[in-house]
Amino acid sequence: MTHNLPSVRWLRRSLGPLLLLGPGGLWLLLLLVIPTLLILDISLVPGLRLGQPATGYGWGNYLQILQPVYLQVVLRSLLFATSATLACLALGFPVAYWLALVSPRRWRNLLLVGFILPLWTSSLLRAYAWITILRPSGLLNSLLQALQLPTQAWLNTGTAVLIGLTYSFLPYMVLILYASLEKLDPHLLEAAADLGASPRQQFWRITVPQTLPGIAAGCLLVFIACLGDFVVPTLLGGASSMNISRLIYNQFLGPTRAWGFGSALSMLLILAVSVTIALLLRYGEVSWGQGREHPRGARLPPSGSDRIPAPPPGPH
Amino acid sequence: MPPQPLLPPDPGYRYTRRHFLQGAGTTVAALTLANCRANLTGQTAAPDNSSSGGKNALHIYTWSNYIDQDAVTAFTDQTDVKVIFDIFDSNEVMLTKLQSGGGNAYSLIYPSDYMVTQMVDLGMLAALDPDRLPGIKNLKSRWANPGYDPNNAHSMPFSTGTTGLVYNREATPGVPEDWEFLWQASPKISRRFTLLDDTREVLGATLKSLGYSYNTNDATQIEAAYRKLLALKPHIAAFKSGGFEDEILAGDLAVAMAYSADAIPLTRQDTNLAYLIPRSGTSLWTDTMAIPTTAPNPEAAYQWINFMLEPEVARVTAERFLFSTVNQAAFEQLPPEIKNNRNLYPEEEVLDRSEGIAPLATASNDLFDRFWTEITSA
Repeated sequence: MTHNLPSVRWLRRSLGPLLLLGPGGLWLLLLLVIPTLLILDISLVPGLRLGQPATGYGWGNYLQILQPVYLQVVLRSLLFATSATLACLALGFPVAYWLALVSPRRWRNLLLVGFILPLWTSSLLRAYAWITILRPSGLLNSLLQALQLPTQAWLNTGTAVLIGLTYSFLPYMVLILYASLEKLDPHLLEAAADLGASPRQQFWRITVPQTLPGIAAGCLLVFIACLGDFVVPTLLGGASSMNISRLIYNQFLGPTRAWGFGSALSMLLILAVSVTIALLLRYGEVSWGQGREHPRGARLPPSGSDRIPAPPPGPH
Repeated sequence: MPPQPLLPPDPGYRYTRRHFLQGAGTTVAALTLANCRANLTGQTAAPDNSSSGGKNALHIYTWSNYIDQDAVTAFTDQTDVKVIFDIFDSNEVMLTKLQSGGGNAYSLIYPSDYMVTQMVDLGMLAALDPDRLPGIKNLKSRWANPGYDPNNAHSMPFSTGTTGLVYNREATPGVPEDWEFLWQASPKISRRFTLLDDTREVLGATLKSLGYSYNTNDATQIEAAYRKLLALKPHIAAFKSGGFEDEILAGDLAVAMAYSADAIPLTRQDTNLAYLIPRSGTSLWTDTMAIPTTAPNPEAAYQWINFMLEPEVARVTAERFLFSTVNQAAFEQLPPEIKNNRNLYPEEEVLDRSEGIAPLATASNDLFDRFWTEITSA
């Protein structure tokens, strides 16, 4: 029997991970990998029409995206996502900073829950609520009128989309930044103060570099969510702010039914999101990146020489 | 024309027929993921024999505000068939669901005219047996042999209507009479009007305003319509087939292009709102009842169609939901104030100026789709 032992051990060693990875792997294969390959397949058939025999393969659908009018849609989507991300960062950082470092400790969890509370309602309802606020006779304009300020016709414009996207994804940004700021070692700030750093210097040379991976993670996640969002641009954007997700929707369930073109656009979106996720994995989370690199001791964390190295991972 | 007193306010009106809860589309998008090429090229999935409800259930897939709960109760009392209905908000959503095999439980669906043609071409609709439909004699003669489905071979006309403009008198400068109003008044009502989210309806109305046909295959005419619509584009608030109701009631929108079945009930909520059938003509649409080839219970579907063809049932439904019935016997029983409502039942010459949207040559279809995508993306 002894000669069987290595193979049993080998079996056990390979079976363990297989059992652990199996369900998730199967899920990914069936619901992500195979559908993506199907989309890729359809995207390579130009001029595919319902009910007609499929034509040969070609690049026609991808070439169509290069027309100025569709490039404009892609650029507009990137612009929406970028500006909403920056707005989320600008609004979210002070909130997260206050929650993590300033707010009274015993209220902290409650405040955090309060900030996440909007996520408990459907994003569709929240977008509808913004229609009520932004429309010409809506809440915002009633307020502006009462204050004798000029009224704004923001509904059905890019401005409305930007407001809606920022509102929708701000809680995610705050959560991620909060998690990052909470791990900030206060001793470093005290040491800096002892050595004569002004509050401004402390902020820019200690707080920000320490939370840079958190900022990157928050920005990239919000960017991904904004790029693919369908509800907000559809409900608030009107006729003038077609973005890539709406264009994809229209090719499948809207009035024009060009499945090939829609699939090509989907592949482009998948590519853009994949690149963003790759960036996220590379530069994203502080403890994660260091957990990987520290034990080897070979490389310093990736941001500059004047940066104070973060404490090694462990209980804070 | 003074506002016509019609029915007492009915409590049933909440959603419009083509009410478009746009976000709902995101859930349906998942369907397209599960769809493979085999479905795309026109094969439909095999009937699902294990569908819930068993033999005595009838699953119906329909527009909202088409099925009256009282009628369902009466039908079940009469036939002992249990009715379960689901709602779709566009023909395309319905088609996609059936093509991806998610609609195998349905024995009866309510496609619109052009969708009937498309689904017959795809082999998705069962041929109807006229011998099993005694009520067919009640139809108005205009619908005895419709262009979209000759001799009603695969579909039974259920309701009809026009596409027109609903406008808020207080918010609109002047009185619109024709499609051309949108172009003339656009600087004054800029970003305060919506058009339908529909290729053929919107480009078709533009064609009509140029004196052409909704169903033209002439590339020059289609391009002329594209250019004319592109000029209007900066002034259009949104392309919406529903969801404009609150905004037009509040006066945030001045004008909305709408289906009569949505617009006319809306005009009863506020006398400031009026519906207009454009002078140069419009599209006449028909919604039908049809039996998919995958229907698990065609027997019950026939019973339902016959029940709906009964004059009394058709009258009550048409009166309650305020759409135009194609049932002559039911029409005659309608109260005069509805029968004489020219928006619901237009004069013959208005009908003659208008057209049903008919299938186009593939090349023209591609052109319509390309221009539409470019206009909405611009």
